[in-house]
Amino acid sequence: MGFLVTTLIFVLVGVVAALSLLLCCNRGVSTNLLHVTLVITAAVCCWMMWAIVYLAQMKPLIVPILSGE
Amino acid sequence: MGDLREPRRGCCPPMELMRSEAMQLVQIIIPIESSHLTMSYLGNLGLLQFKDLNADKSPFQRTYANQIKRCGEMARKLRLFKEQMTKAGIVPSAMPVTQTQVDFDDLEIKLGDLEAELIEVNANNEKLQRTYNELLEYMLVLQKGGEFFQSAQSRATAQQREIEAHQPGDASLDSPLLLEQEMLTDPSKQVKLGFISGLVPKDKSMAFERILFRATRGNVFIRQEPIDNPVTDPVSGEKVAKNVFIIFYSGERAKAKILKICEAFGANRYPFTEDIGKQMQMILEVSGKIAELKTTIDVGLLHRDTILKNIAHQFEQWNQLVREEKSIYHTLNMLSLDVTKKCLVAEGWSPVFATTQIQEALQRATRDSNSQVGSIFQVLHTRESPPTYFKTNKFTSAFQEIVDAYGIAKYQEANPGVFTIVTFPFLFAVMFGDWGHGLCLLLGTLFLIVREKKLSSQKLGDIMEMMFGGRYVIMMMALFSIYTGLIYNEFFSVPFELFGKSAYACRDPSCSDATTVGLIKVRRTYPFGVDPEWHGSRSELPFLNSLKMKMSILIGVAQMNLGIILSYFNATFFRNGLNIWYQFIPQLIFLNSLFGYLSLLIIVKWCTGSQSDLYHVMIYMFLSPTDELGENQLFPGQKTLQLVLLVLALISVPWMLFPKPLLLKKQHQERHQGQTYTALQSTEESLEVDHSHDSNGHEEFEFSEVFVHQMIHTIEFVLGAVSNTASYLRLWALSLAHSELSAVFYEKVLLLAWGYNNVIILIVGIIVFVAATVGVLLVMETLSAFLHALRLHWVEFQNKFYEGDGYKFAPFSFVLVGEEDE
Repeated sequence: MGFLVTTLIFVLVGVVAALSLLLCCNRGVSTNLLHVTLVITAAVCCWMMWAIVYLAQMKPLIVPILSGE
Repeated sequence: MGDLREPRRGCCPPMELMRSEAMQLVQIIIPIESSHLTMSYLGNLGLLQFKDLNADKSPFQRTYANQIKRCGEMARKLRLFKEQMTKAGIVPSAMPVTQTQVDFDDLEIKLGDLEAELIEVNANNEKLQRTYNELLEYMLVLQKGGEFFQSAQSRATAQQREIEAHQPGDASLDSPLLLEQEMLTDPSKQVKLGFISGLVPKDKSMAFERILFRATRGNVFIRQEPIDNPVTDPVSGEKVAKNVFIIFYSGERAKAKILKICEAFGANRYPFTEDIGKQMQMILEVSGKIAELKTTIDVGLLHRDTILKNIAHQFEQWNQLVREEKSIYHTLNMLSLDVTKKCLVAEGWSPVFATTQIQEALQRATRDSNSQVGSIFQVLHTRESPPTYFKTNKFTSAFQEIVDAYGIAKYQEANPGVFTIVTFPFLFAVMFGDWGHGLCLLLGTLFLIVREKKLSSQKLGDIMEMMFGGRYVIMMMALFSIYTGLIYNEFFSVPFELFGKSAYACRDPSCSDATTVGLIKVRRTYPFGVDPEWHGSRSELPFLNSLKMKMSILIGVAQMNLGIILSYFNATFFRNGLNIWYQFIPQLIFLNSLFGYLSLLIIVKWCTGSQSDLYHVMIYMFLSPTDELGENQLFPGQKTLQLVLLVLALISVPWMLFPKPLLLKKQHQERHQGQTYTALQSTEESLEVDHSHDSNGHEEFEFSEVFVHQMIHTIEFVLGAVSNTASYLRLWALSLAHSELSAVFYEKVLLLAWGYNNVIILIVGIIVFVAATVGVLLVMETLSAFLHALRLHWVEFQNKFYEGDGYKFAPFSFVLVGEEDE
């Protein structure tokens, strides 16, 4: 799975989470807006974390050197 | 910034929690006959914060000072009942569902009666108890004294018999004459020995004896007999270990001395007779009395318990009523009395959405109190800053408290609490990434959440209360920790190949150089998180250091940008164009031309796999921006981009500093010129309101002050951009510390114990491992990561946009009144 595919999965998960929140606890426009904001923020945070770790390992400058035993 | 225009309602619907509720200053004129009921209804509603209109009056000068005194007196009586109930071990029953209506005056009389009855019963009981204890002591004296006299007499008779046995046998010459003489002294000439008996505390007995001996120069005979069980002292009512004593003395002077000494030592004296027959009689008498008293006391206690049980039945209701009454009169005292003395005038803040609810309550109060005139409700216009009120639920309230602990938001400014709900637990989790520890945390907090209903009604300890209050914060922290733990690929520091095979493998089948040169990448990058192969390798630490340091900077820059963007929303909301053009834009440019560029370099370096040195690039961007980058160049045109960014950063500093104060000055001058025309408008408003405006409206404009303020702000931002970015490196440090600590506990405790192949060592190892994991990682590390996340939010994130100089909405509410008293 490449960078773009996983990113797409993150987007999809975010959208699904936001939509399901809208559907199952619909409590007026302003509350929905808060819920969607929270879901988007969480999705962005999680994606960022993953993307950083993924990118850092994409073209490794150092490789694992096993400790000799 | 002196902008008096109404805040703008945005294009999109307002987000809940983002802005505090719209507030209004309202005036209510209440007829005096319905004022009490009105207050009671408003207190139930709990959406109105009254202003103190009698701030210049002392508590005693106010209208309802007398009623408050009465309430205080009743509260005191209730406290007395509570004390008595806890002493008697009676728990007040919970609030009855069906509440009988209790009249305040009736309750006052009832409480008074109950108090008098209770005090009388208590006094009687005390008196009886004292007599009872005295009798018990007397009984002991009688018993012990009787024993003593009996044994003394039997010894004396034995001696007598011995002497008598001697006498007839050897009435010889060598029998001592003096002894005989002594023995035969006339009984009438004998000095009459008196004696005193009683009880003295055991720990004082030695001193008591010594003092007696000295005071009488040894002319006493003391006999002490310890009592096996401690007795209740009649005076103090405490259990004391005591000795029964009998003192023989001769002469009245000695007696007086002994009595005084007894008094000083708290020794209780009891009469005693030598005559055995009388003794028996007295013992019978005393034991009869004791039995009698015992039943009397039991009946008295039973009576008291029934009184207390009756009180306990309604205690909570009365307590609530008294508290409510007190708060009602307290609030009524804040209203100003109309000149005609027929109505009260109230002023206060209420959320706009509560208008209809308040009006309804007012109408209901008018109807229920059969008042001829209704209350008048009107909205006042003011330029005073309203209180800040966020409608939170049980999930958001703990997060809002995190923000409030730093400072209450200014009225309607953007609330960092919204993003804190996600970013706070996220930053915590970056430092606490281990999905094993995350699961432990989650289980703990789920326990609290499942038992929420039960726990919320209980009284918890201090620490437990804090944990319970923050249960949803901890839940979010645990969830994000599990996520970041999966990213870091650590389960109690052990990696798992959950998402496919490792990307690294040996160069050749023999794997000879895996420990010298290392593995090579043979597959695609590990799809989710850190490759498990890194764990335990010699290059693990350099790799994780580089990764986590860069991650801290990227996350930090992103969060600081979010903060600056929120300042844009604040500026548009308050229609403050100056803040957008001369604060938001240069700040955004400055931060991103330095640290945004650094973030870009980090990402480009990762994507291209370049060997260039980012420190070198950043340092020489300032030292010699025109030099060629050489081997450190990451992408074509980098030098030009750097030059542009540097120039932009340099421009944005004076851009932040100069235009805003100058423009403010110009605005002020324009307003000042037009003032003669605008002043007339305000005459329509009521005099009272106008008065409060004056102090705020015509503020003197001090250019130097504004300029210094702006200068401080600019310097703070410019220096802060550097120091705040550096501050985010704590994410790296703490996350590293956490993973290293858990690795040490795992390897040096659990694996070491496992290696011994001994069950006992293994069990000890497991115990130590669990204790260390819970104590150090789950408690201390959680606390430290929590504090660091807190700091990153309060300082690094909030200083970009948050003013936090508001004050909290404190409505008059019975629910809050109850909580305060607890």
